[in-house]
Amino acid sequence: MVEFINVSKKYPNGTVALKGINLKINKGDFAFIIGSSGSGKSTLLKLLMKEEAVTEGEVIVNGYQLSNLHHKQIPYLRRGMGMVFQDFRLLPNKTVYENVAFAMEITECIPKEIRRQVPMSLALVGLSRKANAYPHQLSGGEQQRVAIARALVNSPALLIADEPTGNLDPENSWEIVKLLTEVNQRGTTVVVATHEKSIVDAMKKRVIAIDKGRIIRDQQKGLYGDEDTEYKIYS
Amino acid sequence: MGMKIRSIKYILKTSILNASRNRLMSLASISIISAALILFGVFYLILVNLNYNISVLSQQPTMQVFCLPELTDEQVDAVQTEIAGNEYVESFTVVSKKEAFEQLKKYLADNKQEEGGSDILSGYDESFMNVSFIVKVDNPENSELAATEFLSFPGVENVEYSQKTIDVIQKVSNWVKIISIVLIGLLLVISLFIISNTIKLTVFARRKEINIMKYIGATDWFIRWPFIYEGIFIGIIGAIIAFVLVAYIYSLGEPIMSKDLAVFGGGFATVKFKAVCGTLALIYMGISTVIGASGSALSIRKHLHV
Repeated sequence: MVEFINVSKKYPNGTVALKGINLKINKGDFAFIIGSSGSGKSTLLKLLMKEEAVTEGEVIVNGYQLSNLHHKQIPYLRRGMGMVFQDFRLLPNKTVYENVAFAMEITECIPKEIRRQVPMSLALVGLSRKANAYPHQLSGGEQQRVAIARALVNSPALLIADEPTGNLDPENSWEIVKLLTEVNQRGTTVVVATHEKSIVDAMKKRVIAIDKGRIIRDQQKGLYGDEDTEYKIYS
Repeated sequence: MGMKIRSIKYILKTSILNASRNRLMSLASISIISAALILFGVFYLILVNLNYNISVLSQQPTMQVFCLPELTDEQVDAVQTEIAGNEYVESFTVVSKKEAFEQLKKYLADNKQEEGGSDILSGYDESFMNVSFIVKVDNPENSELAATEFLSFPGVENVEYSQKTIDVIQKVSNWVKIISIVLIGLLLVISLFIISNTIKLTVFARRKEINIMKYIGATDWFIRWPFIYEGIFIGIIGAIIAFVLVAYIYSLGEPIMSKDLAVFGGGFATVKFKAVCGTLALIYMGISTVIGASGSALSIRKHLHV
């Protein structure tokens, strides 16, 4: 599903964000990517979405080889992946329903399909009753659930969440993580970048730890880190 | 990839919404486009009329050869013989002094009210008038050659023919062209600039939405089209306003032109608006679409990084 082969990324200003990354995430996996800010975690996600291009190596996502992916192909790459962000990124002037439907409208789906899929997606995240509400009328947790519904409405094979619980209280954070696990159980590959130790530790899923542009740990059923590495990462 | 009807509906809705969202800038853009097109329309119609007169005049192969008033009958006969023998002359008629005098009297009587009504001819007889020959030249193109030859005959004072008028109109028309090209060019550049600024504001206002669209896989053109259409929409509204105003201006101006521009001898022939409105509308559509679209394109290139 996702493969990084000897990937390095150097920004034009000289910053080396990633060095020799080798990584494979299989179909149906659930993986946490952890690391402090500046570790290279964000760059890794940007490479996945082809928001940035690799300097060296190859990234393969969903069958697309990203190094020679034409600019025009990028939208089609992204339609195959759902994205969830820390700040939700909902359109404030559209209702919950419209926000989710929007993701289908831009892919030129037929209205019949939109009318079928959007309620299903909203039901999945438990927001059927809030379909006509506007984002500002919802709690943070609900807004993030709308974002997840939108990410899932086109049935992507891969869901990428960048700090999905960063703006939420612990209770809502748990709701979101539980939801992401459910999504994963339905067969979607889920990649979550996060800071949140408690969640990572409780989930016991695969943990990929990044520091200073390198993968320092890749562990099935991992924890956020033992005391030593944790302090190293944060200091 | 073919654009689907639903997408077109979405795109049109968005572009009109955008234009109405920053009303002030849209209004400014529409006004400046209208102003440019009104100016263009006025100059264009002036040129159409001038060209029409040139074509009317060049259809007239006649010229009038005036003899000096003091010529004796024999001398007039000599001129007539020369004209009759000239290679360019197809036919000719003589206007005697008496006929010329009668025509002048009739012309003055017709225009009595406007001229102040004085009988300026009382006390005069036809002796001060010129004998003249109305000559039909075989081909209008030969008018100038023929006129030069007639002028060389002894006793010929003057030769009047349409080419002279045509030359004057041509000169005026050239100046109108130069002035209008400079002015309209300037205004169109300004319109382009203002439209692109309007679109820039929309891009700015919608940058969050654009960003989201990119993440959920909208193609570049799906994102761009609403901005292009917004530009075209502004352009076309400007064109419609300009068209209506120009039609109104022309309906007022046409009678004035046909009446007061009689300076060109035989009167000024005017073109009816009905005859040119189709072409004008097409030109307006073309210019406004191109300016609107390129104004947005300019802005998109600079500010919409998709």
